[in-house]
Amino acid sequence: MKNRPPVWRIVLTTILIAVGVAILGFSTRVSQIDFIRLFRDAPKAKALVTSFLTPDLTTRDLQTTTIEMPFPIPCGSAPNGTPIKSGPRLSTSVPCAAAKDSFTLEGFNLAPNAQIAIRWNIPKKGKLTLPYVTTDASGHFSAQLDAKQIAVTVDGTSSSIQVDSLVPVGNLKVSQSVKDVLEAMFVTIFMALLSTTVATIIAIPLSFLAASNITRRGAVGTTAYYITRSFFNIIRSYDPLVMATVFAFWLGFGPFPGTLALTVVTTASLGKMFSEAVENIDPGPIEALQATGSNRLQTVVYSVVPQIVPDFVSYIIYHWDINVRISTVIGFVGGGGIGYYLSTQINSMIGYHKAGTAIWAIVAVVWAMDFLSAEVRKRLA
Amino acid sequence: MLRVQNLTKVYPNGTQALKNVSFEVKDGEFLVVIGLSGSGKSTLLRCINRLIDPTEGKIYWDDQDVTAASPAELLRIRRNIGMVFQQFNLVKRSSVMTNVLSGRLGYANPWLSLLGIWSPADRERALKALGRVGIADKANSRADALSGGQQQRVGIARALMQEPRIVLADEPVASLDPVLSHSILQYLEQLNKEGITVLCSLHFLDLVHRYATRVIALKDGLLVFEGLPDEINRAKFKEIYGEEAQEVRAASFEAPV
Repeated sequence: MKNRPPVWRIVLTTILIAVGVAILGFSTRVSQIDFIRLFRDAPKAKALVTSFLTPDLTTRDLQTTTIEMPFPIPCGSAPNGTPIKSGPRLSTSVPCAAAKDSFTLEGFNLAPNAQIAIRWNIPKKGKLTLPYVTTDASGHFSAQLDAKQIAVTVDGTSSSIQVDSLVPVGNLKVSQSVKDVLEAMFVTIFMALLSTTVATIIAIPLSFLAASNITRRGAVGTTAYYITRSFFNIIRSYDPLVMATVFAFWLGFGPFPGTLALTVVTTASLGKMFSEAVENIDPGPIEALQATGSNRLQTVVYSVVPQIVPDFVSYIIYHWDINVRISTVIGFVGGGGIGYYLSTQINSMIGYHKAGTAIWAIVAVVWAMDFLSAEVRKRLA
Repeated sequence: MLRVQNLTKVYPNGTQALKNVSFEVKDGEFLVVIGLSGSGKSTLLRCINRLIDPTEGKIYWDDQDVTAASPAELLRIRRNIGMVFQQFNLVKRSSVMTNVLSGRLGYANPWLSLLGIWSPADRERALKALGRVGIADKANSRADALSGGQQQRVGIARALMQEPRIVLADEPVASLDPVLSHSILQYLEQLNKEGITVLCSLHFLDLVHRYATRVIALKDGLLVFEGLPDEINRAKFKEIYGEEAQEVRAASFEAPV
């Protein structure tokens, strides 16, 4: 009997476990966990991953061959196109259609295995580009089109269907998206560099104010200590992303608000780390230098600075490294740079290969920065 | 000549580290302060160059009131008072040379020294100081690459850069093993023979007998003994260190000569 735990203990434990299970079950409901979808929607993920894995790196000059045929909507509003019998030609399942009808567009004897851009040439309104299709080995393609309301005949001039077959010619070249990605990457790296530098310049004096062993003397010092310390802690509790959203709302999209957001967050973060480095120094040398009759500034330069420089440099490099990563994410909320490029390409639905290029570039740069910062910090230790 | 009059130090937490301590240090003396850890030895030494401000009492250095000195005067007074520490207090990441040169900051041009620019004369002086403690070849090593004994010698060289008239040594050998203790104290003894007054706190009685010209003892912040080293016998020792204290000899071997 003695070895058995009391009944109330067993009941309490059971209740606690039941409550725990209930909370977990509720959280599953709230986060709309649906593992079946994970498999049902796998093809979508596969398409996306495939695009990401085949980044758009090279390109060739394209030779464009254009064929155009008029397609009146609705029927009789303008003359139908004259069907062509041979050579590269287009053909539609119906010569004309009422608005909102569907029909089939086919192309014959076009360039084999070529990309085909289908466009509506709408009078007085311009072009409407449809998703790209590809021709087969015999130069044939077929696509389902809608007779859109927007393409109705105006003043007796019908819209026409324009088909551009794009045939690569000449040698492989670096693609435009590689150039765009490099440019955006430079923006990101220098955003991170600038924000880290400015943050460092602001954080160094503040960190001394927030170091208890330097500042916390007398009423003024203690006040300054608590003010800077609270400033660091409050700012640090804001995620860079939240900060970037605020600045983007204020200043609009672009690298400037992103850089500002990064600077503010980095200042607080570096300031906190710097102040801790200052607090952790060995007070012995300070005492020794005071004893030699050196003045306050000399004492700091000869006893505090040598002790903190390696830590400071290491923190600065580390922050540059993480700022490159953060500024990528900040780009998504309009901070400019590679993140903005990436989000634009992903949202455009047709730029997945370009997004792939950006992702690879990010992986390469983050890896390189990680490696560099680790190397430098190892040297400093 | 250093005169300490009615020195009292009460820390903000209420600890009474020194209680009405008065004594004199004559020029050329090797005065040793003994006492238990926490008896106020470190506080006493640090009050003399005002690394710690005393609560009450006066300190006269050649009839100048150190306790009333203005900040600028204090810097000039400190220049003449070298200090050696138990933990050496070197900047570990800096070179031995920089550590030694920093002892000269009180004399150097303030602006040039901030940029790390030193006159050839000062560099010469630093090398000579290192030579006197026998480690001139270590000038370009990082301070933390040296052994404890060598680091304390750098500490002495740094104090020498001040051209001090008195050296305060706060348990200079407490972090070193007994053999090195003698080697370090012999350097201090050498300086003492050259005319520099030494005020040194020590733990080991045999070291006191060997090096001191005069001894004072602190117990719970009170001056409980002042006299010649020979006057400290076993009974006196128990009085100072308490009944349970056993005399621990620094070494049962002779000092290397």
